[in-house]
Amino acid sequence: MGGEFRYQIGQNAYIKFVLHALKHKTSAVNGVLLGRLSGADTNPVVEITDSVPLFHSQIGLLPPLEIALIQIEEYYGAQGLNIVGYYHANERFDDFELGNVAKNVGDHIYRYFPQAAVLLLDNKKLGALPNGKDRSPVIQVILIWDRTPKTMFSYTLPFLHAKATKLYTREMSKSWKVVGSDGSSQLTIKEPSANIVLLDYISSEKWQDIIDFDDHLDDISKDWLNPELFK
Amino acid sequence: MVSKTDEAQVNRLENQVDNGGGGAWEYLCLVRKLKLRRSDKVLKHGLSILNDPKKRSSLGPDEWTLYEQVAIAAMDCQCLDVAKDCIKTLQKRFLESKRVGRLEAMLLEAKGSWAEAEKAYTSLLEDNPFDQVIHKRRAAMAKAQGNILGAIEWLNKYLEIFMADHDAWRELAEIYVSLQMYKQAAFCYEELILSQPTNPLYHLAYADVLYTLGGLENIQAAKKYYASTVDLTGGKNTRALLGICLCTSAMGQLTKGRNKEDKESPELQILAATALERDYKQRAPTKLSLLTSTLRSLKL
Repeated sequence: MGGEFRYQIGQNAYIKFVLHALKHKTSAVNGVLLGRLSGADTNPVVEITDSVPLFHSQIGLLPPLEIALIQIEEYYGAQGLNIVGYYHANERFDDFELGNVAKNVGDHIYRYFPQAAVLLLDNKKLGALPNGKDRSPVIQVILIWDRTPKTMFSYTLPFLHAKATKLYTREMSKSWKVVGSDGSSQLTIKEPSANIVLLDYISSEKWQDIIDFDDHLDDISKDWLNPELFK
Repeated sequence: MVSKTDEAQVNRLENQVDNGGGGAWEYLCLVRKLKLRRSDKVLKHGLSILNDPKKRSSLGPDEWTLYEQVAIAAMDCQCLDVAKDCIKTLQKRFLESKRVGRLEAMLLEAKGSWAEAEKAYTSLLEDNPFDQVIHKRRAAMAKAQGNILGAIEWLNKYLEIFMADHDAWRELAEIYVSLQMYKQAAFCYEELILSQPTNPLYHLAYADVLYTLGGLENIQAAKKYYASTVDLTGGKNTRALLGICLCTSAMGQLTKGRNKEDKESPELQILAATALERDYKQRAPTKLSLLTSTLRSLKL
């Protein structure tokens, strides 16, 4: 069976998109995931090493997206990294559907990178993050939608309550569908400490510093690469 | 929309209040005047006044305005107990008030008691069919329940009565864009441009929608509206300048192999590219090379 890929997210990529979603609580946000395919043929891994926050307003419009993708491909291409996925957080708190805009962007990325993953952030878990009373693992569900047949999954990140996981697969038809529930470890964070670092960033209100491509287009002196964020 | 000077003033005041420098009441008044949504701060600083009897009574009749402001902020932050207390105080002071009745209905909405809130809003509208806030709450409530088509319907009904409400047209346009109903979104922006022809943001949004729709005619029109945005902003709008380059590039592809007369002269794109390069050189020098290669890839 094809498409048994594992995905490994680097800490910085992970923290960036969670902070992006936290900064714009009242609107949908999206962005792209950068990385490379590694591992032998028998054990392929998609390594997600970075992410770029894109937009927080009018996500369905094409012109800003085209400009952003050209620049991102140009910049990361020079480092040997590709766009390997897309992340999206919905506007409404209890909306767990992947919208058509997200699917279309996912389809576009898939054409260039067939192992592409689309992550849908769970707003409820995101909302609970800042109130994390203790240092125990943060619950953070991320869905991976994979275009290769029968491998659309919803995963929890490591150390999580397995109850919230759902398994999604894509039927052989062209529609996307939820088919069951299951825990899985196909998506992991590279650094085990990522959630702890994330909580630190949240408690110091670091999300206010994150800059997406929308911010850059409004004021070009703001850098969408967020070079200051991890200093 | 908030001007840059207003925003700077609010931020300065917010910073001052956050750091214990006083001025909480001035800050709350400004937030109210500019209709900003800074609920967490309003809740925190508003409560600090309300919980201090001396400060509270020094406000005079404005005390009640503050109760209302804090109640709404508390609902936004899901601090429903605080909201309830504020509303109770107002109920005691203003028996049978419709304005307080509105707050009660909003509290039902915040709790997620949709049916009860709907009932409360309906009865309030019977007494006053032209209460704009309640009409808008209904649209917002439909949206909150995930009933986007319902929200569209409420907004359209509302706009039949209150045609001059820009914010409502914008909200409707943004909902259409999120559903990829670009033709309908374009209609909304046409209305907005007609009513406020000198607001560059509507020209820009209209151009973005036209470009997204695609096709030679739409892209030609998009380019014109990007150009008018550049005109109205004195060449300061990065999105519009980039839009012109995108349009020229797309039109070049669509008219490939056609007569020379069909093709546009390249002057506008060259001017836009020059302006972009100048801006980046001054304000974002580290991104200049990326911009240059982007422009190169658009020139075909």
